[in-house]
Amino acid sequence: MTRPNIQIDDEVREMTEAEYEALLATGWTLEGTDETPTAG
Amino acid sequence: MSVKTFTSEILTSSDTNTYLANSGLVYVTSATIGSAVSSVTVSSAFSATYDAYRVVVVGGTGSVTTGVAVGMAGGPATGYYYGLVYATYASTVVSANVNTNNGANWQFVGGITAGQASSFVFDIYNPFLSLYTTIHNGSYAGGATAGTGNGYLAAATSFTGFVIAPQSGTLTGGTITVYGYRKA
Repeated sequence: MTRPNIQIDDEVREMTEAEYEALLATGWTLEGTDETPTAG
Repeated sequence: MSVKTFTSEILTSSDTNTYLANSGLVYVTSATIGSAVSSVTVSSAFSATYDAYRVVVVGGTGSVTTGVAVGMAGGPATGYYYGLVYATYASTVVSANVNTNNGANWQFVGGITAGQASSFVFDIYNPFLSLYTTIHNGSYAGGATAGTGNGYLAAATSFTGFVIAPQSGTLTGGTITVYGYRKA
């Protein structure tokens, strides 16, 4: 699966594998989840 | 500067330039959001010139309907606190919800709806000072709910930038503009 892009100022690039793993660890998903706010 | 009362019909270039340069809200920087990005870092937004900032995000679209999180660039992995009060469009019931409790960023500061132009604003206080950074007037508006929130980062650290990230999916397009509140 293609990793999402990351932007730092004007530079847009594909995430590294390590960055992508860190993003997934936050609970982020590409497809989205229930948008209703829930307690963190 | 003090407010000047004009008493003649002559507005000099000096007066005009002075007032233009001393508006209450002063443009600092902006960034154009790229295509399908999972986060955007604006690295040079904060300095000693201002203590309070307004960030305006307008025009981008999300790949999914979701909240948007905000954190400080180079900030800690925890220590973010944020309370969102929101309600559903279809109900008169107001729901209070503490969304971020010692989290990795402030959650639901903004909201985006899949495929639609989205916008949100928030204020950041004391990011450049070695004090707790606070966030106010977060303006979350999702597909079915909307609310406002405030919070702080429990780190007495100086930051020069911030990160905006959809909590799911990606962002495409739109502009992030940072303004400083003029001190005097």
